[in-house]
Amino acid sequence: MEKFLVVYPDLCTGCRLCEAACSYRHEGVYSPSLSRVRVVKFEDRCLSVPVVCNYCEQPPCEASCPTGAMSAAPDGRYALVREDRCIGCKECVHACPLGAVHLHPRSGVAIRCDLCRGDPECVKVCTAGALRYEPLEAAVREKRRARAASLNPA
Amino acid sequence: MTREGTADMREIAGDILYVDLSERRAWREPALHEDILNFLGGRGLNAHLLWKLTGPDTDPLGPDNPLIFGAGLLSGTEVPCSGRTTVTCRSPATRWYLKTSGGGHWGGELKFAGIGHLVITGRADHPVYLWIDDGRVEFRDARPIWGKDVRETDLSVKKDVGDEDIQVAAIGPAGERLVKFAGIMFSVYNTAGRGGAGAVMGAKNLKAVAVRGTGALRAAQPARFHKVAVECREALLAESGGEGLARYGTAGSVEAVNELRAWASYNFRRSRDEDVYPLSGQYLVERGYLKRRVACLACVFGCHRYTELTRGEFAGCYTGGPELETLGSFGSGCGVSDTEAVIKANELCNILGMDTISCGSVIAWTMECYEKGLVSARDLDGLDLRWGDAKAVIEMVRRIAYREGFGDVLAEGVRAAARQVGGDSYRWAVEAKGLEQSRVDTRSAKAYALAFAVNPRGADHLHTETFAEFGLSPEGRALIARITGDEKYADPCMVEKRAEIVRWHEDCFAVTDALGLCAFSSTALYGVTPARMAELFSAATGHEISEEEVMRAGRRIVTLEKCFNVRAGAVRADDCLPWRLMHEHTPDRPDPDAINAPEELDRMLDEYYSLHGWDLETSWPTSETLESLGLGDVARQLAAAGKLR
Repeated sequence: MEKFLVVYPDLCTGCRLCEAACSYRHEGVYSPSLSRVRVVKFEDRCLSVPVVCNYCEQPPCEASCPTGAMSAAPDGRYALVREDRCIGCKECVHACPLGAVHLHPRSGVAIRCDLCRGDPECVKVCTAGALRYEPLEAAVREKRRARAASLNPA
Repeated sequence: MTREGTADMREIAGDILYVDLSERRAWREPALHEDILNFLGGRGLNAHLLWKLTGPDTDPLGPDNPLIFGAGLLSGTEVPCSGRTTVTCRSPATRWYLKTSGGGHWGGELKFAGIGHLVITGRADHPVYLWIDDGRVEFRDARPIWGKDVRETDLSVKKDVGDEDIQVAAIGPAGERLVKFAGIMFSVYNTAGRGGAGAVMGAKNLKAVAVRGTGALRAAQPARFHKVAVECREALLAESGGEGLARYGTAGSVEAVNELRAWASYNFRRSRDEDVYPLSGQYLVERGYLKRRVACLACVFGCHRYTELTRGEFAGCYTGGPELETLGSFGSGCGVSDTEAVIKANELCNILGMDTISCGSVIAWTMECYEKGLVSARDLDGLDLRWGDAKAVIEMVRRIAYREGFGDVLAEGVRAAARQVGGDSYRWAVEAKGLEQSRVDTRSAKAYALAFAVNPRGADHLHTETFAEFGLSPEGRALIARITGDEKYADPCMVEKRAEIVRWHEDCFAVTDALGLCAFSSTALYGVTPARMAELFSAATGHEISEEEVMRAGRRIVTLEKCFNVRAGAVRADDCLPWRLMHEHTPDRPDPDAINAPEELDRMLDEYYSLHGWDLETSWPTSETLESLGLGDVARQLAAAGKLR
């Protein structure tokens, strides 16, 4: 079954190890600016929410790309940025409604999640369980049960 | 990508940013390789910078007292629990050495801006805040936000800069009013609380330091560094105490410490509290006060708390915390068992920018003065400050921050307040070196007693956390066996081997702070061992260092901090404990050994100074000791001042 990166924001403690793991995996350095996953914080309420690429069925980032740099891997299981084609026009950044695509602060090339080609590092370091790599049905099932439980008067 | 071992240390350590507020000037210098090898970073490099920039007469609240922020050498990386920042200056509370540290995300942001250490001197001619944007510095007008609380300040600065993702370190009204235990707040609720660094910031007319960093940190040997970091994470997650820490926070051990008769209650008249459950981490969870667990940068546990009160008298209250120390300070220490009131007092301290430990302590001391008739209701403008009166406690917190009425007396700290009130009130002023003692009742914990007595900043647990002596976890007992040769010494009532236990922990804690790690990685939980810290340092910097060498660097840091106090006039008599703990029993521990008797402390001090190679009569480090640690320059300066034997 196809797996997705699923976010459980209620569980996020805001440690941002996902950002460190992501930037290390992709760039060999530690830098939130180079991370594909970004943790957004509302500090007065100690609230943290990881923002990830949701792998849209019809990705606006790909549709908007004039050079074909934003494309799926040949088997369609993960997304690529073909750096040799990217011209840094930022169409993808504007097109993504989630804020999940951004530019490399120095090279100007687009950055987006490639799910570590099927083995996401961010999930491995998320001890809180806020980021999971699982079939969508599993996430929906859990949510459905939680919702049902909340309606149960007992 | 850089080849293994060739990256410059600068890519992991960052530069030193100097800011002179009087001249409105800022400049950057790379940290010297030699200094990083000797002092590692964070607390260690801070100590070195403070030593160089001050003299014996530096006025803590004068423009010459540097306020030094040091992110950990490893802060910003994937090393677990590596997000702590150390603030160092001369303390306005004690006039001795001060290092105080806080968690949150500010230090990491500073590192991403390419800066490891920020050294602030001078005094601005009107309130300003600093905006550090990837290493570019702006002095911004803070007059519109002067007077605002920490939460409002954080939001205002973010709005002014136009970026809500930045990190802010700020002071509240208490720091502006030079309250001697005002803290510096990182990421809103993470406090560098002890010793009054917030007052030093206030005296500089500096309201906040805002940072944005978009850069990157690179280990000299990335693959090796990554491997050790993963090992550290796995070791920490496998520890017996880890799950409880995550679930119940620091306050998860309140009941255990209480049962050991080491839980300071009623201003240390008692060492146990019968009604302690409402002050436990378990209770916060059970009653739903805990809304979220909160992690500092790179933390795998998330022991920090976020609580809200949705009903009752304090509905609408929301804050980071409460931690064990806060629950003890405003709770048992004041005879209060009202959880909601403690959360409210915690919120006030956080947004007004004060240390909860000292704040609760001065109030508990006043309660005892009130009971004994040394302070009257008239002195308190009609406030009936009786044991257990939670509302009176909360009112007093506010008065201290704004220096209203008797709050102005208490804002000077308990030592100064006892001088003013007079009589025997010094006997229940539970402080040493002028710092109010943290919650451990050292009468029932002898390694803590020694560690508190020799702590250069005063009586507390965050120079040298010796939790292992309680023997509460298998890892703690194993550590005591490793240090002393026998697990039987994991007994807090024993005096034997305490010097060895303290010295190991102080070396380890100094390295921990220098690297930016949390006590809950190495000296309260133990997965990040000295051997792993040496590996991390080697892989990060490309300079090989052994476990012995890294611990020696810890000793060098501890010794330099001691020398700061020696230069400022410290002698053996300054290494003492609060009068009450040295002379009075508690009803909970009536046995004769259960005080910190002067003779007992003297015996431990002799052993401790001997282990260090310090002079027994004066407590001063000797010339040979300093030379052997590579502190020859320090020795020469002390010799010139007549403070070397």
